[in-house]
Amino acid sequence: MQGYILRKLISLPLILIGVSLLVFISIRMLPGEPARVMAGPEATQEAVDAMTVRLGLHRSIPEQYATFAISALQGDFGESIRSRLPVWDEIAQRLPYTLALAVTSYILAIAVGVPAGMLAAIYRNRPPDYIVMVFAIAGASIANFWMALLAMNYFSVHLGWLPLLGANSWQSYILPSVTLAVLPMAVIARMTRSSMIEVLSQDYIRTARAKGLPVSKVYWSHALRNALIPIVTIVGLNFGGLIGGAVVTETVFNWPGIGRLMVDAVRYRDYPVIQGVTMVAVFGVVVINFAAEMIIAALNPRIRFD
Amino acid sequence: MPSLSILRKSLLASVFVGAASLSAAAIAQELTVMQSEAPRSMDPGDQSATFTNALLAPVYEGLVLRAPDLSLVPGLATEWEPNADGIEWTFTLRDGVVFHDGTPFDADAVVYNFERHLDTDRGLAASGRLRTFLEGVEKVDDYTVKFTLQGPYPAFLNILTTNAGQIVSPTADAEGNLGAASVGTGPFQMAEYRSGEFVLQEKFADYWGDNSQSVEAIRWTWSSEPSVLSMALQTGDADVINPVPPAFAQVIDANPELELHVSDGSAVFWVALNTEAEALSDVRVRQALNFATDRDGIVNAIMSGYATPANSPLATVSEGYNPDLDPYPLDLDRARELLEEAGYGDGFSMSVVVQEHESRIGEVLQAMWAEIGVELDVRRMESGVWSAAAFGNVEQKAQEGVDSVIASWSSGVNGPDLQFRPLYHSSSFAPGSANLGFYHSEEFDSLLDEAAATVDVDARNAIYGQLQEIVNEDAPHVLLYVSRDLYATREGVENVWMIPGGLVRVDTATKR
Amino acid sequence: MSASPNIVAPARNRIRLRRSWAWCQQNANIVIGGFLIGLIVLAAILAPWIAGADPYAQNLANTLQPPSWEHPFGTDDNGRDIFARVIYGAQISLLEVFLSVGIATAVGVPLGIIAGMTGRMVDHVIMWIMDVLFAFPGIVLAILIVSILGPSLFNLMIAIALFAIPVYARLSRNITLGLKSMEFIEAAIALGVPQWRILVHYILRNSVGPIIVQSTLTAGTVILTAASLSFLGLGAQPPIPEWGAMMSQGRNYLGVNIWMSLFPGLAIMITVLGFNILGDGLRDLLDPRK
Repeated sequence: MQGYILRKLISLPLILIGVSLLVFISIRMLPGEPARVMAGPEATQEAVDAMTVRLGLHRSIPEQYATFAISALQGDFGESIRSRLPVWDEIAQRLPYTLALAVTSYILAIAVGVPAGMLAAIYRNRPPDYIVMVFAIAGASIANFWMALLAMNYFSVHLGWLPLLGANSWQSYILPSVTLAVLPMAVIARMTRSSMIEVLSQDYIRTARAKGLPVSKVYWSHALRNALIPIVTIVGLNFGGLIGGAVVTETVFNWPGIGRLMVDAVRYRDYPVIQGVTMVAVFGVVVINFAAEMIIAALNPRIRFD
Repeated sequence: MPSLSILRKSLLASVFVGAASLSAAAIAQELTVMQSEAPRSMDPGDQSATFTNALLAPVYEGLVLRAPDLSLVPGLATEWEPNADGIEWTFTLRDGVVFHDGTPFDADAVVYNFERHLDTDRGLAASGRLRTFLEGVEKVDDYTVKFTLQGPYPAFLNILTTNAGQIVSPTADAEGNLGAASVGTGPFQMAEYRSGEFVLQEKFADYWGDNSQSVEAIRWTWSSEPSVLSMALQTGDADVINPVPPAFAQVIDANPELELHVSDGSAVFWVALNTEAEALSDVRVRQALNFATDRDGIVNAIMSGYATPANSPLATVSEGYNPDLDPYPLDLDRARELLEEAGYGDGFSMSVVVQEHESRIGEVLQAMWAEIGVELDVRRMESGVWSAAAFGNVEQKAQEGVDSVIASWSSGVNGPDLQFRPLYHSSSFAPGSANLGFYHSEEFDSLLDEAAATVDVDARNAIYGQLQEIVNEDAPHVLLYVSRDLYATREGVENVWMIPGGLVRVDTATKR
Repeated sequence: MSASPNIVAPARNRIRLRRSWAWCQQNANIVIGGFLIGLIVLAAILAPWIAGADPYAQNLANTLQPPSWEHPFGTDDNGRDIFARVIYGAQISLLEVFLSVGIATAVGVPLGIIAGMTGRMVDHVIMWIMDVLFAFPGIVLAILIVSILGPSLFNLMIAIALFAIPVYARLSRNITLGLKSMEFIEAAIALGVPQWRILVHYILRNSVGPIIVQSTLTAGTVILTAASLSFLGLGAQPPIPEWGAMMSQGRNYLGVNIWMSLFPGLAIMITVLGFNILGDGLRDLLDPRK
């Protein structure tokens, strides 16, 4: 186990180096120079050239990468081309919003997904099972931007129950987090159902029931505990997907998070911001995957990693 | 939260203002404006986007200002006088003006501002406009400056009203933070900028003019989703939206709580044909495409009717525009004849590059031109990719097979030269400027240069009349339509106005 | 059938029927999922006969119409028949699924097997690349790829495939590792059977089941990701009747006209639903623990 942790800790910087190279080179392969995009169609070539020099983009890519890597190691991702704010400030301003949204939607997904999955498992192949599963799978089959716009139209515009945009009150979390939660909710419900079914058929559960332990206790403490393992795995592994979903959700809801920051940064060819956000997102994904693996190991000492 | 304390501050401020001036508005009012695009910079001289210009308009002023009736009125200069040949202009500056950071406004500030644009090492985005005609600026005394032009330039005063001529605080610019925090002389000053959320501007207490009647604060937000703009106006999340997506115009118009404002715009939409491409180098082919284009159909389908079919390269609001031209009525037979004459009787295929939000124009043209055997390959591109393709030079376009580009150009009400020169003059070939199809005509070039040097308005407009006919005849573009400017307000919001081209002005707005 | 003079055959048929009914009951997921996907496949194949209209024919005088007898799903903003476009869109969506899943398996599976078989440095390097790809936010990767390669249906599929590759590589590597430690494979290696034969015989054969299951489950994601990319302006080129692109175009009219996005949305839903249910069923059927 210790060897495994050590290997993981070594692989983290390796992954970050790989990702930084990938993002650094690929954004520079994007057609459309930042200076041209920023300066706009009216700018003369002379102005574009001067701006390119000002942004330091006239230098060779290895040179640029070296500069980037040295300052990134010191925790400095440079300055946004568009807003002129340090990239760190931009990320620090936005990250809490994305994390808050991610956490609320995960809580929602687990709070609904786990009981729904259990219900389906207990009533296996009976109506409650079918209803839960159809809803779960159907919910995960709708494009989230469309669902979001429809929900805004109905709940905010027609009924006036919920705020339309922004992140100004707890109510404004409802629509975006529900939108974002639908997919993981479905996945969690399905995972819970199948692992519960498996656990319920195990001998020790049968024994526990035969011994006359209260049924609810059997379900909650024994079965659920073991069923948690795949759920934690999914939550951990899906975190990257959640960040991907945030790109779309944040755009629709004007959510001031890093997903929208990323979309804008790509649009304006804001290289430093693209680099910074990607590095932070990847770091988060890797760390959370790692944490998920540790929790799994803690839940079930028999599981070994390689 | 900082925004809360600002709100409280503005609340207090408004109470004092209200008590002092006995103004009707005694409660803090904040006007929320939602546009379709995020601001590109807080420095007016370092961007050239209409929606950013609208956002910065309450903060910055030029020596000359544009009034709601679109006339030119004194701004930071009280009067101006050209010399006999129109090359030297002397401006008398307004006394007692301070920037939001306390820096006094004087001749030094003006000279600093124009010199930063003339400095090639600065690489500011809007400098190009000034550098094409401005020779230099010098201080005569503390409140007098003299501009020297490279030659007579009719659009000079107009340009002083635009972002390139807006005066920024020299202190703030020297500190290097202007891109993130605007500092001007306008009736509003920037209070907070959250790049992912909003720009908040509040009333400037030491403003030189009278800004007592307007709202206390302006909050700018943005969303690229057309339906979100419309929904935000309906829920009251926005008091003003700019622009109104044409598809929602009727719904908004029908809603008694909302008001739709429609005015003639200045953005001309067109397809720039690559005159270096094989088939398109033949003027008859270009004319054929023009004859095969159903402009009324496009106006209805794309703009829900909120546009004027283009009959000239100039916008309908432009000086010298000729409304009587009708060069290309829909005439498929004529189009087929022309193709036949040019040797393309069996049709040919060509490509067009287009951005996401204009891709429908491409789709519609694809169907229309198929009628005369022209197969249009619509290549929709992400905006940055598009700008690289659209502004490619002759070789790049030949290599990538870019035969045409769909785009629009808006010179506002700043004179036809700003429309004709970048789009059709042979010195404006892409990538340097926006002659995207490499159109070149000696007759056109010399006439345009002649117009630029003609001070007499009628004589100048006569030349512009000729130029419109030349462009129509040579058909370097398939001219499509001039969009109308649509913005909408909630009931109770008054005194918002529009500079043609989509630049909404809210600094005089009131809100009940 | 009751009128048949042959008495033995119906009895046999009945037994067969009863058996298959029992199978169907046990594998309800496969039946339902298969039915839904079958519908889509049928629509794709029969499109020229059932569409009833040209999916590309525009009529600018008849835009944004609600459903009617003439246009069962209404018309879009260019006056095209939405029903015809949805039906033809089935071809595009199936193509998307086959291309993306095909590319992802064709690249991911061999990589995973190579990593598992050779071990050591090669394994480390391959899995490092896979970890990088996996950690990279998928949608961002897709944005970059589509922007670099230029937007086309095929490039879109490459982008989507790219972030599915690590899933297949990991899957096949794990299967390979699992099999490698089995006695009969160890014995084969010890006996000097060429490695490629072991690969082809045992490992590939044993990974077919799990990979089919995984492919079915990825299929739904492919369509939804394509729709998300359309939303971000990186989808299929006009005027291709791709569902995601149609839906994404239709969203600009939500609040005025819902039909333009509703029907392609439903089509996406049915397809994703079908693939997911089918995937669940196949997983149960092919589960080795049973």
